[in-house]
Amino acid sequence: MKLELIKGSRSRILAGCLMAVAVLFAVRLFYIQIIQHDYYQQLADSEQIKRLTIPAQRGMIYALSGSQPVPLVMNETVYTLFADPATVTDVQGIIKTVESVAGGNARPNLDKLLTTPNSRYQILATKLTTAQAEAIKKKGLEGIGFQQGSQRVYPEGGLAAQTLGFVDANGDGQYGIEGGLDAELKGKNGLLQSVTDIASVPLTIGSRNVKQPAVNGKNVVLSIDRNIQSYTEGALSRQLTKIGAPDGSVIVMNPQNGQVLAMANWPTYDPSTFNTVTNPSYFNNSVISSPYEPGSDIKTFTMATGIDTGAVTPDSTYNNTGVVNIDGIDIHNAPGDTQFGNITFQTAMNWSLNTGFVTVAERLGDGQNITLKARQTMYDYFYNRFKLGQLTGIQLAGELPGIIIPPSSPDGNAVRYSNMAFGQGLDVTMLQVASAFSSLVNGGKYYKPTVVAGSVDEYGDYHPAAPETPTTYIKPSTANQVRDMTHVARTTVFVGADRPGYYMGGKTGTSQAIVNGRYSNTDTVATYLGYGGTKNETKYVIMVRVSGPHFMGSGAAAAMPIFTDISNWLVRYLNIPPQ
Amino acid sequence: MSRFGIARLDEPAANRRHRPDYILIVYVLILMALGAVTIFSVGPQHANLLNNAIGSHYSSNYFFIKQIVSLALSLVAFVLAAAVPYKYFLRYSGTLLVIGLAACLLLFGAQLAHLGIAECTLGACRWFNLGPLGSLQPAEILKFGLLVYLAAFLGAKLQKGDINEVKTTLLPVAWVTGLALLFIAVIQKDLGTAISLAVIVVIMLIMSGVSWKILGAVFGIGLVVGLLFIVSEPHRLQRVETYIQGDSASTNSGSNYQSQNAKIALGTGWWLGLGVGNSIQATGYLPEAINDSVFAIMGEMFGFIGVTLVIVLFVALLMRILRVMDHLADQRLKLLAAGVFGWFGAHVVLNVAAMIGLIPLTGITLPLLSFGGTSMLFITAAVGLVFQLSGYTNYATNQKEETHEDSGSRRGIGRTRYASRRSS
Repeated sequence: MKLELIKGSRSRILAGCLMAVAVLFAVRLFYIQIIQHDYYQQLADSEQIKRLTIPAQRGMIYALSGSQPVPLVMNETVYTLFADPATVTDVQGIIKTVESVAGGNARPNLDKLLTTPNSRYQILATKLTTAQAEAIKKKGLEGIGFQQGSQRVYPEGGLAAQTLGFVDANGDGQYGIEGGLDAELKGKNGLLQSVTDIASVPLTIGSRNVKQPAVNGKNVVLSIDRNIQSYTEGALSRQLTKIGAPDGSVIVMNPQNGQVLAMANWPTYDPSTFNTVTNPSYFNNSVISSPYEPGSDIKTFTMATGIDTGAVTPDSTYNNTGVVNIDGIDIHNAPGDTQFGNITFQTAMNWSLNTGFVTVAERLGDGQNITLKARQTMYDYFYNRFKLGQLTGIQLAGELPGIIIPPSSPDGNAVRYSNMAFGQGLDVTMLQVASAFSSLVNGGKYYKPTVVAGSVDEYGDYHPAAPETPTTYIKPSTANQVRDMTHVARTTVFVGADRPGYYMGGKTGTSQAIVNGRYSNTDTVATYLGYGGTKNETKYVIMVRVSGPHFMGSGAAAAMPIFTDISNWLVRYLNIPPQ
Repeated sequence: MSRFGIARLDEPAANRRHRPDYILIVYVLILMALGAVTIFSVGPQHANLLNNAIGSHYSSNYFFIKQIVSLALSLVAFVLAAAVPYKYFLRYSGTLLVIGLAACLLLFGAQLAHLGIAECTLGACRWFNLGPLGSLQPAEILKFGLLVYLAAFLGAKLQKGDINEVKTTLLPVAWVTGLALLFIAVIQKDLGTAISLAVIVVIMLIMSGVSWKILGAVFGIGLVVGLLFIVSEPHRLQRVETYIQGDSASTNSGSNYQSQNAKIALGTGWWLGLGVGNSIQATGYLPEAINDSVFAIMGEMFGFIGVTLVIVLFVALLMRILRVMDHLADQRLKLLAAGVFGWFGAHVVLNVAAMIGLIPLTGITLPLLSFGGTSMLFITAAVGLVFQLSGYTNYATNQKEETHEDSGSRRGIGRTRYASRRSS
C-alpha cells in the first residue's frame, strides 16, 4: 500500500485540479460576462432586435360631386396565403380548400408548392378578400398562414385615370396625384423595434423595445367634379370616335379660383389593371405632360400684350395684304383669307389672320420691326405674366415645362417672335394655356392652377383648402377687352352654337404637329380654347386638343364641337341662370 | 506525517455505519431546484420554438413537468442507490457491467435492424425510444456498470497489492474500457460520453495508486486515440476547427453558431443577469437551450454572480464527494467515490468549458441542471451511492482532518465530523 494514498496526496491533487479549473472558469466567466459584456450585448442586439414596419394606411382620394366629396380611390385589405411545407399535414385538404375558396387567386400547381422539399415558405394565393381569408382560416388547416396587405380600389372605375395615377407593386405612387402627392398620401410608416424570438415574433423582454405609431396618409379631395369629369370624358370619346381621331385631351377649369374641374385624356386605361397596360403613354396626362406648339390660341395672349401695353386696341386697324415680311422671311395667312385691306384687329381675331398678330408684335417695337424691346415685352408677358413655358406647380406627377426662347438667346430673334405672335416656335402645355386664358376671362387675375380642393380628416369631415390668392399681371380692362374679342370671334364664326342667354367666347387653333423635329404635313394639332358663363362672370374655361398620328383636322371642325358639347351641358349642370 | 492510519486501512469492517453526509443532499437539491427554475422559465419558449419549427404540439409547461418527473425519478434512484447496501453493488458489479454492455449491444442490434426503438440522429443511435416513457441512453447504464465493476476489480487488486501489474490488472481494465469505448465512441459516435467515461476510468486509476509512469502512458495512449477519433469524423474535426477559429468565425456558420450564441447568452447576462424568465437566447437563438446549453441560459438569466454561484455549488458538491472518498477505508468504496467524482466532474467541466469557449462542444449534459432523463437518473443514483458511502467514513485521525483544509472544509482541525456538526 502506497503511502501517498494513505495521506490522500492524490486526492489533494484532484482537489487542486478542481479548484484550478473552477478558478479558470470564474476568470473566464468574468471576462465574457463583465469585461466583454458590451461586445456580446452588441452581438445580441444585432441578432435579437428586429425592426418591424407598421404600415401607414395610404390616404384616400376623393373627387367632388358639387360640393360633397365622393371617393375615387379607396383601400381594400387583401391577404396573401402562404404555407410552410415542413409543417403542412393535410396537403389534399389545403389544395381542395384553396382552390374552392380562392379560385383564380390561387396559384397553379399547389400540389408541387406544398410538397417542395427544404422549403419553409410558399405563396399559395394572393389578393384574397377578407371573406375568402376567413373562409380558409375556418377550416383550421395546419401549416398555413396569412399576410395582410392593402390594395387600391376604384369605385368609379377608370374615371380620371391619368389624374389619379396608380400605386405600383412597391407601394409607390406613379403618375397623377398618386405620384405627385405620394409622400402626403403615403403617410409615415410606424416603427416597431423589438427584441424578438428567432422567428421574429416580438418579445416583451427588456427595455430595448421602441414603438412609433404609423401616421396614416392624408385623404386628398381633388377639385375634379366627378360629374363634369364623367361628361367630359364622354364628350371627348364621342367626338374622337365620330371623326376617327386617335388622341385627345380636355381640361375644364374654374377661372375664378384656378381649380381644375376635369381633365380627360384619350386613349385611357383602368388604374385597377394598370399592370396590363402595354403602352405606358396611356399613363401620361397630356394636359400637363405633353408640351406642344399651341398655334392660334396664342393670338389671344399676343392681343392682350398689345392692348395692355397700349400698342393697339381691338379697333385699331392695319393693312392686311395676306403676307408680312420679317427679316427676309414671308409670313402668310392660312389659306382662305378674304379680309384684305384695312381691317381691325377684331377682324384679324375673328378670322385668325397671322398677319394681324405679327403686326401687333411689330407695334410693340417701333411699328415696323419686332425690335429687341418688342421681343422683351412679349417675353415678359408670355413668360412672366401668363406663365407660359414654365411649370405651373400643379400637384400631379409628370408635369413638363415646355419652352419659350427668351430674346437674349440667339434663337430669340425677330423671326421666332413673329412666329410666336401666332403660336409657333414655342412649346406650352394645355394647363399653362388654360390657366393663362383664365386670367384673360376673369378680369386679369392669374390663379396658380390646382387640382386639390381640400382634404378629408380621419372622422370623414371635408376641409376645403384655403383659396388661392391671385396675382394681377394685366389690367382688368385689357382682360375684359380680350374676353369680348374672343366672344365676338366665336359668335361671328360659330353662329348659334351656344345656348341663348349665356356669354361664351373662344379661339380655335390649328397647327402642324412637330414630328421628329419637323413640321409634319400629315399630322395636325387641333385645339379650341374657350370660356362660358354670363356677361358678368365667366364660370368655366374649357380647352380641347385633338391630335394624333396621321390625323388631319382643324380646331374649328375637330376640337370646337367638344367645347360646345361640354359648354352647353355645363351651363345646365352648374345651374347658371341665363341673362 | 504518518503517525496514524495504516492499521485502520487494513480493517475496513471496523467502520460501522453512522449518520451519512446530508450536506450532499442539500447541494443536490439546490442544484436540482435551480435547474427546475431555469427549465420552468424557458420551457414555454422552447415548446413554442419546437411547435413552430417542427409542428409539434407541446404545451407550454410540457418541459417543466417532464423535468419535474425526471427529478422525481432521479430522487427515487438516489434513494435506491443510497438504500441498497453497497455490498450488493460490489457483489453484482460484473452483472451491472454486462447489463450496460448488453444494452449497448441491443441498441446496436436495433440500429442494424432499423427498429423504431433505436432513436437515431445523423446516423448515430444513442437512445432507446420507449414511447410514452421517454428515451433511455444505454451509455449511462454502461458508465455506471463500468464504474462499479472497476471499483470492485481495482479495489480487489489493490488489496492484493497487484495494482501495477500490467497483465492481470491493467490489461483487463484496458480491455473492458476499450470495449465500452467501442460502443460509445465508435458505434454511438458520442465523443462527449466517451470522454467522460475515459475520465471516470483515469480518475479511478489515479486513486487506485497506479504508478505515475503507467498513468503517463495511459494518458499518452488516450491522447493519441482521442486525436484519431477527432480526425476520423468530419463533424468532430469541424467542431475543433470552429473552436480554434474562435470568435473570428462568423456567427452564421453552422458549427460556430451554438458556441457563439452561448457566449452571447453569457455576455448579455452581465453581473446579475436579465432575470428569471427573461432569457432571449432561449427563444431559439441558442440551440439545446434546456439541455446542453442550460449553463449559458443560466448565465443570461442570473448573470456572473448567479453562474459563479452555480460553479461554487458544483465545486462544493465535488469536494464533498472527494472528502467522503478520503475518509473511506475500504479501497473498493474509495474507488467507487472516485469514479463518481470523475463522472460528475467530467460532465461539469466538459459542459461548462464548452459553454465558455475553452474547449470545443462535446454535447454533454450539465448534471442535475440539464433537461433530460437517463443522464440525470444515473448521475443522481451515483451521487446517492456516495451518500450511502458517506455513512461509512472514518474521521478518527487528526491527520486526515488536516488533509481537508485545502478541500474547502469549514471544520476546524482536530474535531470530528460529529463534533463539528453538533457545535455548529
